Amino acid sequence: MTAASGVDAASTIAVVGTGVAGTTAALTLRNAGFTGRVVLIGDEPDEPYRRPPLSKDVLRGTMSPGRTRLRAPDTWSQHSIELRTDTRVSGVDAEARRIIFADGTGLDFDRILLATGGLPKVLPQARGVGGVYTLRTLADVSALHGVLAAGSRLLVIGAGLIGSEVAATARDMDCAVTVLEAQPAPLSRVLPREITRVYEELHRASGVDLHTGVDVRELIHEGDQLAATDAGGRVHSADAAVVAVGLDPRTELAEHAGIATGDGIIVDEHFATSAPGVYAAGDVANHPNHVLGGRQRVEHWLNAQEQGAAAARAMLGDRTPYSCVPWSWSDQHGVTMHVCGWPEAAEDLTVRGEPGARDFTAIARRHGRVVGAVGMNRPAELRALRKVVSAAPHAEQAVLADPATELASLASLEVAGTSS
Amino acid sequence: MKIYRCEVCGFEYDESQGWPDEGIAPGTKWEDIPEDWCCPDCGAAKADFVMVEVSPA
Ligand SMILES: Cc1cc2nc3c(=O)[nH]c(=O)nc-3n(C[C@H](O)[C@H](O)[C@H](O)COP(=O)(O)OP(=O)(O)OC[C@H]3O[C@@H](n4cnc5c(N)ncnc54)[C@H](O)[C@@H]3O)c2cc1C
Ligand SMILES: [Zn+2]
Repeated sequence: MTAASGVDAASTIAVVGTGVAGTTAALTLRNAGFTGRVVLIGDEPDEPYRRPPLSKDVLRGTMSPGRTRLRAPDTWSQHSIELRTDTRVSGVDAEARRIIFADGTGLDFDRILLATGGLPKVLPQARGVGGVYTLRTLADVSALHGVLAAGSRLLVIGAGLIGSEVAATARDMDCAVTVLEAQPAPLSRVLPREITRVYEELHRASGVDLHTGVDVRELIHEGDQLAATDAGGRVHSADAAVVAVGLDPRTELAEHAGIATGDGIIVDEHFATSAPGVYAAGDVANHPNHVLGGRQRVEHWLNAQEQGAAAARAMLGDRTPYSCVPWSWSDQHGVTMHVCGWPEAAEDLTVRGEPGARDFTAIARRHGRVVGAVGMNRPAELRALRKVVSAAPHAEQAVLADPATELASLASLEVAGTSS
Repeated sequence: MKIYRCEVCGFEYDESQGWPDEGIAPGTKWEDIPEDWCCPDCGAAKADFVMVEVSPA
């Protein structure tokens, strides 16, 4: 902690959100030596837990919900972190530096971190329709597990990461699964076209009835049956549906406080919002992209964790700009994929290995620079590439394709500055 | 047989089951896994794992 930080042992730092960004921030404040008051507030009833297993082992029933607990229950008290679960923040007065809770009480703070994550986007056609589920919280997963365990015919609307994982898990549980995706391919927001093909094949080989380019016009629940009608008039029927069409960042506290928002809460490379003393991190934060330029909002576990840690250090006066590269993984039909950087921004793709055999690394270049990678069955290569992407060096495709190339060595080829 | 959990993402390595996907046979002790192995999910290094007690929960 530096003198410039403006916080000391008499200060209070409030953290809103008990997800991985908020909890990591609270713990990082302590690890970095902050001795003032830390209050960690979340509206979910559960103690902090991990979301990634919710669409995988927990939904399948092969991991108990208790196993998702993020930290041992006594962690918070041990670190003198005041954890308040089941507590809704209804307003933040950025000027007076005061939180207002739903019950009308308040809390004065010196710094606040908004790590409020997001909620599943609502499909207007599905609003209020029976038999329709979304998946974000532990509470959501138990209801959905019951549906799948009953062997229901499931309709999954949206083949992004969560929709695709739910479809795969439902197949594991022997449900008949139909997936309806508006884009021409599954996972098209995160992967280049060549790689989305691997997933089309994987889903189909695993018995998923996948329909792409489908515009769901109407969803009707009648006599325990759901019927989704697409723009072509085709009707897809099922017992239940999961809508997984993206995330709406929870920006309402920031908006009402007059803080700049766009797609998420706008922050700088130190996670500071437009209001002094107010920071944001995790799925809700819209931050500068240090490699491609511009801004981005990342919805991945590791990034929420890294951002929470970086924001906490920034609140204590650390001026190191954030420079982590997106990293995520997905488990579907027994295959794990790793993604780093921005493969969706690829102008060309260099493939090492065999996508068809689900053993490959595909390296994405933009303007000749390495900006992302996707891989299956090659975690070590992807891990090396994450460092490479951070430096975004220029590299020839022939070099990238050569199995003899030590990928990690590319990171030191040339360190490019932020450009486009 | 012990279970090790990745501090980063929560992935668990169960010695009794090994990790056959990457050629780590059931029963392989944590100490015997190569140092350059990383978490099958998040990619964290072996050093980022912590040991957890097996709990039936
Ligand atoms: C089913 C599922 C599977 C996933 N799988 C993967 C994966 O395999 N790999 C990967 O990299 N990522 C995965 N993710 C994404 C990853 O889990 C998220 O990026 C991460 O959890 C985001 O953390 P966060 O702390 O930013 O937000 P969140 O975890 O959403 O936490 C925000 C918290 O703030 C609370 N909150 C919001 N507003 C208020 C308020 N006004 N008052 C009080 N509390 C409030 C919310 O209730 C919530 O608990 C998955 C996500 C889901 C849902
Ligand atoms: Zn991990």
